[in-house]
Amino acid sequence: MNDSALIIVVLTIAFSATLIGAVIARRVAVPLRPIAAYQALPEIAADAVESARRVHVSLGSSAVGEPGTVSALVSSEIAYQLAERMAISPYPPLVTLSQGTTLPLAQDTLRRAYEARQRAAYFRPTQVTWYPQGPRSLAFAAGASSLAADSDVFTSILLGRFGAELAYFGESAVRHDQILIAHSDQPGGQAIAYAQSDRPLLGEELYAGPAYLTRRPLHVGTVVALDVLRWLVILAILFTALQAAL
Amino acid sequence: MLNFLATATAMIAGVTMVIGLLSDPGSDARAVAALVIQLVAVTGAIAVLLGILNLLSVHLGRFTHAERGWPYSLLVLVVAVGVIVLRILDRAAIWSGDLEGEQLSPRVFEAVQVSVESALAALVVFFLVYAAFRLMRRGVTGWNVLFTVTIVVALVGWIPLEDLDVFAELREWLVRVPVGAGARGILLGVGLGTVTAGVRVLLGQDRSLRD
Repeated sequence: MNDSALIIVVLTIAFSATLIGAVIARRVAVPLRPIAAYQALPEIAADAVESARRVHVSLGSSAVGEPGTVSALVSSEIAYQLAERMAISPYPPLVTLSQGTTLPLAQDTLRRAYEARQRAAYFRPTQVTWYPQGPRSLAFAAGASSLAADSDVFTSILLGRFGAELAYFGESAVRHDQILIAHSDQPGGQAIAYAQSDRPLLGEELYAGPAYLTRRPLHVGTVVALDVLRWLVILAILFTALQAAL
Repeated sequence: MLNFLATATAMIAGVTMVIGLLSDPGSDARAVAALVIQLVAVTGAIAVLLGILNLLSVHLGRFTHAERGWPYSLLVLVVAVGVIVLRILDRAAIWSGDLEGEQLSPRVFEAVQVSVESALAALVVFFLVYAAFRLMRRGVTGWNVLFTVTIVVALVGWIPLEDLDVFAELREWLVRVPVGAGARGILLGVGLGTVTAGVRVLLGQDRSLRD
């Protein structure tokens, strides 16, 4: 099977499983495996509103138009869910990022969240802070974590693309008694997220976030598709390993 | 109407890219996909330009209204203007004498940015060791013990002493086999997640496409 045929097969399975999963989710409640980070997010938003404190969401170096595009889109969807819940508070979420192309996406995400709660007048584009340092920048991490500490945030949520710089966010979160939820689509950043975060998100769990937070049938369908593809990959690995051994 | 246009554009661009990827090199479909990528690059460049203008206007506002931290805003403005001027002078090839033919803006970037990044990078290892310690304080589970032992073996493996050769070999095996396998597993998961989230975008159901 060549690459083109493989892409067609994977896309066909992904589309079919998503649509079938969405139809099933529309009829019956599909149980989702508990993920601590997604269970905590609504509580974090509620606590932030009640205690009049801010939440820091960082999209790292996820960049629209680059390989991290989908990470940026999914992370912004999670940021939307958080911002929508927090839009009634006078203490808005703080969003930081290091890629200029993601800045309009993040600002638009917050604007839509405030509009959805009919609080558009309270939206400020400066809630999103861009550190023009480029990918995997330690200077970005040092600056953004320092800003989060100055802004008296009580939770830092790191989603998307991070490398070793994630250690700075983690260290700052510990020093300032912040809850830390962290993820990275890079193995280096993921390892640090596991070590430092109270509730890490691992690998593909980021992409399931919208399904956990919205329960929309199509989003649940993508989780079903993810599971189907995962099992197919596991079976393919086992099959090829057995074939090589025999 | 705007939502419809945004959704339609995203879906058409996505389908065009998929068809382009599946087509033979040199085909019309591949050429159209390349055009879409070029448009994305131009749009990205405009987004960065808007970001820079936004950054400058925010800091100019802070400086003129003497808001908290205004000296930092002034510093940002001065450095931004300085770098832009330096870049223009580089492009004009204005330097003479010892500096003839030199590009000063990359040199300034290296002198400041690379030094800062190197200094910060040196601290990462301490953060990680402390993180491993805290991980054990949170709870002594099998996974946490494995993580900590692996860190200790990796760090000891770097010590260049003859008696510790066994640790160096163990570290190399760790990096080659379990770490390599784990990293591939994570990347596979991320890849599959990207495909399923991409399906949502292709179906026009991503929130960034609608109000």
